[in-house]
Amino acid sequence: MFENAISPEALDTITKIGINVGIAIIKIAVVLGIGLLHVAYATYFERKVIGHMQVRLGPMRVGPHGLLQPIADGLKLFFKEDIIPANADKPLFYLGPVIFMAASMVNLSVIPFASNFVIANINVGLLFIFAIAGMGVYGIFISGWASNSKYAFIGGLRSSAQVLSYEIAMGLSLVGVMIMAGSLNLTDIVKAQSDSIYGMYAIPQIVAFVVFTIAAVAETNRTPFDMPEAESELVAGYFTEYTGFRFALFFLGEYIAMIIMASLATVCFLGGWTIPWYITKVLPFLKIVPGIVWFLVKVYAFIFFYYWIRATLPRYRYDQLMAIGWKILIPVALANILLTGLVKILL
Amino acid sequence: MTVRELVNKIFFIEILKGMALTLSRLFSHAVTIQYPKERRPIAPGFRGQHALAKNPQGESKCVGCGLCAAMCPSQCIQIFREKGKVARYEIDVLRCIFCGFCVEACPYGAIALTENYEYSDYKKEDMYLTKDKLLSNWDKYMPGKKGEEYFKKFWRPMSEDFGTPSGQAVFRGKHS
Repeated sequence: MFENAISPEALDTITKIGINVGIAIIKIAVVLGIGLLHVAYATYFERKVIGHMQVRLGPMRVGPHGLLQPIADGLKLFFKEDIIPANADKPLFYLGPVIFMAASMVNLSVIPFASNFVIANINVGLLFIFAIAGMGVYGIFISGWASNSKYAFIGGLRSSAQVLSYEIAMGLSLVGVMIMAGSLNLTDIVKAQSDSIYGMYAIPQIVAFVVFTIAAVAETNRTPFDMPEAESELVAGYFTEYTGFRFALFFLGEYIAMIIMASLATVCFLGGWTIPWYITKVLPFLKIVPGIVWFLVKVYAFIFFYYWIRATLPRYRYDQLMAIGWKILIPVALANILLTGLVKILL
Repeated sequence: MTVRELVNKIFFIEILKGMALTLSRLFSHAVTIQYPKERRPIAPGFRGQHALAKNPQGESKCVGCGLCAAMCPSQCIQIFREKGKVARYEIDVLRCIFCGFCVEACPYGAIALTENYEYSDYKKEDMYLTKDKLLSNWDKYMPGKKGEEYFKKFWRPMSEDFGTPSGQAVFRGKHS
């Protein structure tokens, strides 16, 4: 009876789809699990790096050298009281952190971690990341508005203005990479880099790389561009009124966004999971190392750079921030596009 | 803006200098002292919790003259005498400012400030030092030689030497 109900071809197709969906789900689970673990230990890494840069020790008490500190922090956040301001716009107040974290988590799906490990290998990967990263601003702004608090509101306003301005500079800085690679697919960009004579686009696109790095720091609202959160003037910015688990969602989103930006820099400028041919020529044994290791090393180096900057520089003033974005970074990125395009046409 | 300043700005020279400094600090030794495990060395003459000194016979040196209580700026010392003896000698540590005037005022070297600074507690009553506690503090923190030398090193009880210190500029008369 069943043979008649479903033809063998249809059954075959259904099985294939089922297997593919199963593989995709396993991939998502792996990426999310490892991603969240990375977020937890990114906080530990940050506190240790900044602590040692300020000649302190950082967390030392929970576990050996404070290694269990992120777990203790997470447990504390889960069991905290969930406070909602009486005059808050409740549906939007609930929605804000969810949008913010979802927007940054979705981006994990298009990042190629190794040569064939990517959840969704779509052709407009770079564009997709921009679109979704832009969505994160809604989360910030909605939570700033719904909190019904002046600090949160000012933080939300500042953040949306800042992220929108710096997204332009960041997008323009990546146009040079798109021109050189001739593709928006992140996997293709990495392959184009390892095939080119430079090995990584950070060398020919050094200007774009500097612009991207500055814009990435501003885009993720981190020091010295942490205007929206400016502790000394805005308490905590757009998430002032959030507590416990909802605060943890913002925290998660922020660190995942940081990891996404580091991954984007790795993929677009530092050669992703590959290493330049001139290094393997000198040290051939490095070919044995799997690609994911190089990818993670580069991502960690970029994240370390975030922390390093945070430990070094004070916060910019708001008008300086806007001036840097509009008057310096965008013209420089445009000039870089012009130059890259000319070179591409002439050669 | 000179050319030099412009070049400095374009290549982030000052920011890079700052980052070199923070990176060098990353590899330097942290100055943190992990308190309950490690402790700072206590400076000689540290002014911590009080103690009442005992003479070699094991009795309190205090005669209850009340000079320490009179001198105390925060008035945290209370002395009660009965039949010519010190019945109660009490210090409210929570009010004490650890100036050391009581030690300086005492002609007999009867009160001391020990090196103990870890005596936090949950109740106010436990922070109130009675005569018994003060005497046991002496045994605990100033045992043997340490207690004998303490006054000679840092304080000069007046009953031993009423003169001005030899280094002090005063009129000393013709005979010397």
